[in-house]
Amino acid sequence: MSASAVFVLDLKGKVLICRNYKGDVDMAEIDHFMPLLMIHEEEGLLCPVLSHGSVHFMWIKHSNLYLVATTNKNSNASLVYSFLYKIVEVFTEYFKELEEESIQDNFVVVYELLDELMDFGFPQTTDSKILQEYITQEGAKLEVAKSKVPTTVTNAVSWRSEGIRYKKNEVFIDVIESINVLVNANGSVMSSDIVGSIKLKTMLSGMPELRLGLNDRVLFALTGRDKGKTVVMEDVKFHQCVRLSRFDSDRTISFIPPDGESELMSYRINTHVKPLIWIESVIEKFSHSRVEIMVKVIQRKMKYRQFKKQSVANNVEVRVPVPSDADSPKFKTSTGNAKYVPEKNLVVWTIKSFPGGKEFLMRAHFGLPSVENNELEGKPPITVKFEIPYFTVSGIQVRYMKIIEKSGYQALPWVRYITQSGGKLLTQH
Amino acid sequence: MPYLGGDDAVRELRRALSNPNVQSDPLRYRNTILKVIRSMSQGVDVSGLFSEMVKACATVDIVQKKLVYVFLCSYAALNPELSLLVINTLRKDCQDPNPMVPHHTRYPPLVEYVEQPLTAGLRDRAACVRRVAILGWAKLYNLQPTSEIDASVVNELYSLLRDPDPVVIVNCLRALEEILKEEGGVAINKPITHHLLNRLKECDVWGQCDILRVLQRYKPQSDDELFDILSLLDASLVSPHPPVMAATLSLFLHLCPDLPAVSQAALERVRGPLLAACGSASREMRFTALCHIQLLLRSLPGLMGAHYKRFFCGYAEPAYIKQRKMQVLVELVNDENVVMLLDELKGYCTDVNADTAQAAISAIGRIGRSYSDRCLEILTGLLGLKQDHITSAVVQTMRDLVWVCPQCSDTVCVALEGCEETLQDSQGRQALLWLLGVYGERVSSAPYTLEVFIDGVRSEASLGVKMELLTTAMRLFLCRPAETQDMLGRLLHYCIEEETDMCVRDQALLYYRLLHCGIEETRKVLHGPRSDPSLGVLIGRPAEPISQWASSFNTLEPLRQVAVETESVSRGSPEHVTTDLSVTLSGCRVHDVRSGDLSPSPALSPEEFERLWLQRQEDFVRLEERVRCPAVPHCSPQSLQAAMQLLNIQTLAFTPPHALPWRVYLYTHTQHTHSEDTLCRTLILGELLLKVTLQQQPRDDEALRGFLSILTSVLHTLTPESE
Repeated sequence: MSASAVFVLDLKGKVLICRNYKGDVDMAEIDHFMPLLMIHEEEGLLCPVLSHGSVHFMWIKHSNLYLVATTNKNSNASLVYSFLYKIVEVFTEYFKELEEESIQDNFVVVYELLDELMDFGFPQTTDSKILQEYITQEGAKLEVAKSKVPTTVTNAVSWRSEGIRYKKNEVFIDVIESINVLVNANGSVMSSDIVGSIKLKTMLSGMPELRLGLNDRVLFALTGRDKGKTVVMEDVKFHQCVRLSRFDSDRTISFIPPDGESELMSYRINTHVKPLIWIESVIEKFSHSRVEIMVKVIQRKMKYRQFKKQSVANNVEVRVPVPSDADSPKFKTSTGNAKYVPEKNLVVWTIKSFPGGKEFLMRAHFGLPSVENNELEGKPPITVKFEIPYFTVSGIQVRYMKIIEKSGYQALPWVRYITQSGGKLLTQH
Repeated sequence: MPYLGGDDAVRELRRALSNPNVQSDPLRYRNTILKVIRSMSQGVDVSGLFSEMVKACATVDIVQKKLVYVFLCSYAALNPELSLLVINTLRKDCQDPNPMVPHHTRYPPLVEYVEQPLTAGLRDRAACVRRVAILGWAKLYNLQPTSEIDASVVNELYSLLRDPDPVVIVNCLRALEEILKEEGGVAINKPITHHLLNRLKECDVWGQCDILRVLQRYKPQSDDELFDILSLLDASLVSPHPPVMAATLSLFLHLCPDLPAVSQAALERVRGPLLAACGSASREMRFTALCHIQLLLRSLPGLMGAHYKRFFCGYAEPAYIKQRKMQVLVELVNDENVVMLLDELKGYCTDVNADTAQAAISAIGRIGRSYSDRCLEILTGLLGLKQDHITSAVVQTMRDLVWVCPQCSDTVCVALEGCEETLQDSQGRQALLWLLGVYGERVSSAPYTLEVFIDGVRSEASLGVKMELLTTAMRLFLCRPAETQDMLGRLLHYCIEEETDMCVRDQALLYYRLLHCGIEETRKVLHGPRSDPSLGVLIGRPAEPISQWASSFNTLEPLRQVAVETESVSRGSPEHVTTDLSVTLSGCRVHDVRSGDLSPSPALSPEEFERLWLQRQEDFVRLEERVRCPAVPHCSPQSLQAAMQLLNIQTLAFTPPHALPWRVYLYTHTQHTHSEDTLCRTLILGELLLKVTLQQQPRDDEALRGFLSILTSVLHTLTPESE
């Protein structure tokens, strides 16, 4: 691994906080980082690794911060990046929002976290659930710190503390699927995939043992049942609590859940998805005078598997790019309302509730200045955001959730399905 | 807090720290220490406060203690004398029954005095103390690498490899690696290896990666053991965490360098996870994955062929990812996907980012080496946009393409007309000049274009353009003397009399004197090759053995290395690009029919080839021969084509790689001089399908045999050495 030091810089390259882990790289080397970044950006050779002499800077950018790891060894790049992203993840969990202000307001906690996350250039405790037991200070609030040893430090189950109690034992399961569809100007689907995740909100006492059943095709084939709709998942990733050996042998997802909210698993399904919401657009640009835009949105008719009812998409947002020098917008919509966002060069058309099988139309008219903008502009795609509750595109279903705890209490699992857009794209003409 | 200069701030803090009122109020005391740490984090030198901070260490407040130790760890090395003051507290803290106290001390590096608490720390009941103490030894050693490390400590650390806590194990491994650096790191023997492998699953991602890396040094004692290890690691190979997957693959490649089949199977197995990493949410991870895929493709060009769509660029991706993706796409092109691929690349050519657009254009040029017609059509179309950066990139690309595929020159010559008006940058103009010089007789407007350049030479800033201009003017003079003579005279006069740059002046003088030697001499010097078939090897490098890159896999190197490579290839006139790859194939030339005796021209169209192939019964000599080259179907068609072109054998059609039955059609002409005056020309048609079928017209047995021996030696060269 060997990261020598980790820095958090603001956008100007000023060091907000740093931690020297190994001491084999001069801490002043960071002064070269920002100039290097600028030079490379100008030349179009920007790259996540920058080097100055024998020192390499591996950096990521998060909101208005740069997180930089320095090293003078040929270290493992993917590991360093994962670690930097882990830092972001942990900090975000602590401060809700990771940005310059939150670092400055909480620098002591940041210091402590940096200290726990890594020692001598090697990552140590990086699970935020456990860290929260080590480092309990919250911002400026000064409380007398726990002098009790966190149980998780020596616990066999590192992600869950013992002795959790709830009056009412419940688990909420959210199945969330984002669909990504790329459609080109001719209307043919270039690529499509579904990224799904199963999120848990656990409110269970003690050390419960959970088992989750899905309509996973591999499992059905394994047990000889091959009826009904099944789903083939790819790139399945589990939370560390899931016993992978059991999943590998008999596809059972069994685990002791972390308390509170967590992501149990994520998966990708690489199938051909018909776009749920279809867009047709005509954009006519008359140089020096005006742009006319006509956009039609159509929602495919879908029946819920569970209920015989039409689907409804909520919070549909169609973002149509317009030239940066457009002015005097005029809109006409058959439903919802359209708004011009000049700083992003977009028209945003929002429809609160969009029943299946319907179609809506928006017309927009913009003026263009007579003196034309010489700068070359890209043709950004039209994007659509939406959310369809009680529905999953892939047809994945939670078949059961068994909860076993030695005290033998009854617990209720709740399941909810949501499909949302992960960024549906349409290239323009 | 009002802004204070560094010194003032330190003075202020010192006053506050030594104020008894502050010291008696725990909240205020802690706040003051917070301020010290804040100043430290902002880079203010607060080392002057050392003695005050040492006092603050003696407290029961664990938060304060933690903060003070953060301070002490940073400054202890600078203040060895004052550090002595802290020893007592430190020793007391290290024996504190609450394991959190020694955990937070983190053992500041106070050489002699910290050893004893460290030794005690190794045996502490709490895992968190052991974790810190172990790395404490590594830090201590790092501070004074010359000192002899106590053998008993090393033994203790070795025994801690059996600790129940996984982080302790991994930290031990890390510490031993550091301490025993001189001896080549921790000793990896069979029991340790097996123990670590068994505990692998318990460790977190970071730990797994470190263990897998250390195990690379292990040499399994038998094949059985090796395969046991490999099957144990199989699950990690498809791990959803890219670092673990990469570390496992790296270990696989190190464990079985002598078993190419196993390595290859491993590479195919990681294809899925690698592709997933290419689509990961973090752009840095995507970039890393792409760089590593480029490495893999060097040995297994066909690995990702079917998944080319995964490498299409997203609209919002940063330029460095787009450029890498295009480089990968170029490697993946085959008969089936070429249309889609070119369509996609064409879209990138008009990207707002000029670098991305130029990269896309040069990618099309690279594909043009195998699919020239389609690509030239796109490139010519792009010239119509009249955008200066696009035109420049297209002209440069055409220059590079023509150098490798001279058959494209007709189309290029037509396309060149009129594009000098949009060219702005020196690179593009240089490329245009080179093309005019080499194909001047076929571009009707060449002298006029050149005249514009020559008239503007006074205001020309670029040295490269001036040099190129001189050469072009000379070359054009040789083929169109009447139109060029006058302007060449003017140019030479200017360059010799008025030019201040020595290089240009010398070059001009050289040409001037050369002209004095007569036109034939000049022609000899200036008419170099118009194209270099040996460069064809660049189209598809022959598959490299995995060992070539295995050691740099999963490090920083691939991320940096490839970036440098692409820069050097894409710039400069083709004549300056040299390649040593041709050496690998030069061994084929020693047979009685030398490759120089073969020639791909006059060209055969596919239809004509088919007609000739089918009418074989009548007037063709037919020869069938089995050649044993099992690996050839695995090498990319481009590299085969390149190799064949090098020997003047034209390949006409392929089945895609990995398709069965795999076949290739090829043809060539032989010019075999039997004696001084008779020149026999024959046409050889061939089909490669594990066996070679050759047809020849007219009959010339010797030439046919010679051709066959060349062909087999090419095929054997393409077969990896391990086979």
